[in-house]
Amino acid sequence: MNSRKRRLWGTTVAVGLIAIVVNVPWFNALFVSFKSDGDISRGATVVGTPTTSHYANALGAAGYDFPRFFLNSALIALGAVALVLLIAIPSTYSAIRLGFGGRFIMNASSGLRLLPAIFFAVPYFLLMSNLGLLDTVPGLILANTFLNLPLAIILLSAGFRDVPVEVEEAAKVDGASTYRILGSVLMPILAPSLVAVAVLVFIFSWNDYLFALVLSSSNATPITLGAANFVTSTGIRWGDISATAVLSTLPPVLFAIFAQRYLVSGLSAGAVKG
Amino acid sequence: MPKWVLGSPLILFAAIFVAYPVYQGIQTGFYGLSLQNPETLFTGLDNFGTVLTDPGFLAAAKFTVLFAVAVTVVETVLGFGLALLVNRDFPGKKVFFTMLLVPIMVAPALLGVMFRLLLNGDIGLVPAVLRTVGLDVSLFAPNTVVQLLVLLDILQWTPFAFLIMYAGLQSFPTDVLEAAQVDGAGRLRILRSIIAPIMKPIIFAALFLRLIDALRTFDVIYVLTAGGPGTKTTTMSIYIYKTAFESGQFGLAAAASTIVMLVLLPFVPLFVRRIANPDGKAR
Repeated sequence: MNSRKRRLWGTTVAVGLIAIVVNVPWFNALFVSFKSDGDISRGATVVGTPTTSHYANALGAAGYDFPRFFLNSALIALGAVALVLLIAIPSTYSAIRLGFGGRFIMNASSGLRLLPAIFFAVPYFLLMSNLGLLDTVPGLILANTFLNLPLAIILLSAGFRDVPVEVEEAAKVDGASTYRILGSVLMPILAPSLVAVAVLVFIFSWNDYLFALVLSSSNATPITLGAANFVTSTGIRWGDISATAVLSTLPPVLFAIFAQRYLVSGLSAGAVKG
Repeated sequence: MPKWVLGSPLILFAAIFVAYPVYQGIQTGFYGLSLQNPETLFTGLDNFGTVLTDPGFLAAAKFTVLFAVAVTVVETVLGFGLALLVNRDFPGKKVFFTMLLVPIMVAPALLGVMFRLLLNGDIGLVPAVLRTVGLDVSLFAPNTVVQLLVLLDILQWTPFAFLIMYAGLQSFPTDVLEAAQVDGAGRLRILRSIIAPIMKPIIFAALFLRLIDALRTFDVIYVLTAGGPGTKTTTMSIYIYKTAFESGQFGLAAAASTIVMLVLLPFVPLFVRRIANPDGKAR
C-alpha cells in the first residue's frame, strides 16, 4: 500500500469517527429502544435480549397519544408544503420576471430570516386565538408556512433566475399566456428546485417545536412537542420514549439518505432556518 | 394584470400573517396585556423600562451572547477542518457524508430528548462510561452545565457549518490548486495563501448563519434544562417564552422581543447583501 492510499484510509478512519460521534445520541436511542425495561434499568452497557415492545407501545399498544401526534406532524408538514408552494411559486415568478414588488420581496425574505422566531410567539398566539385557530392543525400549518415562506422564496428565485429568458420568449411567440408559461413551461424545468423546497419545508415543519409549544395544547400537538412533554412528565419510560424518538426522526433521516442532492443544494444556498 | 394576480396570494398572506403580527408584536409592548388581565391598558414605555432593568433579562442577554459566540467560533473552525478533510475521494465517503448530514435533519427538540437519555445519571451511556474511568460527576450541576450545553451544541451544529463550507469548496477552482502544487507550494502555504482567501466569503457566511441561529437557541436547552438550574442557562428566547407563557406577561415579553429586534435590525442589510444578493460571493 503506497503512502497516498494509506493517507486516504486515514481520512476514512478520521471522518468515520467524527460521523459516528455526532450521531451517538441517535445510535444510543436506537440501542435503548430495543432493550427491555429491566435491561435499561440495569445499566447503559447491559446488552440483553432485544425486544420490539417499545415500538408497539409507541405505535399505540400502550394507549399513548403518539399515533395522533405522528398524524398531526404529518398533516402540519404536508399542509405547510402545499401552502408554501401555492404562495411562493406564483409570487416569486411574478417578482423575478414581472417586476412584482421589485427587490423588496427578496430583501424582506432574507430580513425575516434574521429575526428570531420567538419575536412572533406572542403576536401569533394572539392572532391565532382571535382567529379561533389555537390548538388546531390549520393554525400550525399557517405558522409553519410563515416560518418557511422566506426560504422558499429565496430558493425559488434562484431557480427562476437560472431559466434562460429565451425559453419564455419562445413560448410567448407561440401565443402562450403568462399563466400557461408558468404552469406548462416553467414548472417542469423547475422541478428540482420545487422538490428541494418541498423537502426542506417538510423537514423544518416536522421539526418545529417552538410554535407547537406556543400554539398547541393537546388536539394539534405534533410529535416533537409530544415526545418532549412525555419525557418531562414521566421521565422513566425510557424504552418507549427511545422508540418514539427513533420513529419520529425517521422521515428526516430518510430524506437525508434519499433526497440528499436536494438537501445539500437547498441548505448550502445559505438560507437554512434554525 | 398577471403580475398582481400571481402576486396576490403573497400579498394576502403577508398582510395577515407577517405585517399584522409585526405590528401587534411591537404594539403589545406598549400595553399592560397579560393572560390574567386581558384588558388592554396603555402603559407607554413602562414595559421597556421594566425589561431593561430586569436582572433576568440582562443575565439572559449576556448568557445568550457568550454562548452564541463560543459555539459559533468552535463550530466554524471544526467545520472548516472537517470540510478540508472530507474534500477528497476516500473509501466510504458517501456513507459518512450522509451520516454527517443526519444531525442537521433531526428535530432539535427530539435531539434534546435523546441527549437526556444519553446523559441520564441512572441509565445514560455517558455517565456510565465516565464512572468506569472513575469520574462520578453530575453533568447538569451548576458548575458543569454551561460547558455541557456548549459541547452538545457543537455536536449538533458542527455538521451544518461543515456543510456550508464543504459546498463552498466544491465550487473551488481546482486548476489554481494544481498550479500551486506544480510550483512546489507546501500544503500549509496552499491553505494559507490560496484556500483561505478564496474561502473567506464562505467562511463568513458559515460564521454569520451559525451566529444568528445560535442567538435564538431554544429547543435543545429548553428540553434539557428549561433554562435552569435557576436561570443559569436561560437564553433570550427562553426568557421571552417564559415571560409570556409561564408568567403570562405578554406586554413585557413583547417589549423584550422588540428590544431584541432593535438590536438585530442594524445587521439586516449586511445579511441581505451577503446572502440574498444573487451576485454576492457568499452564495
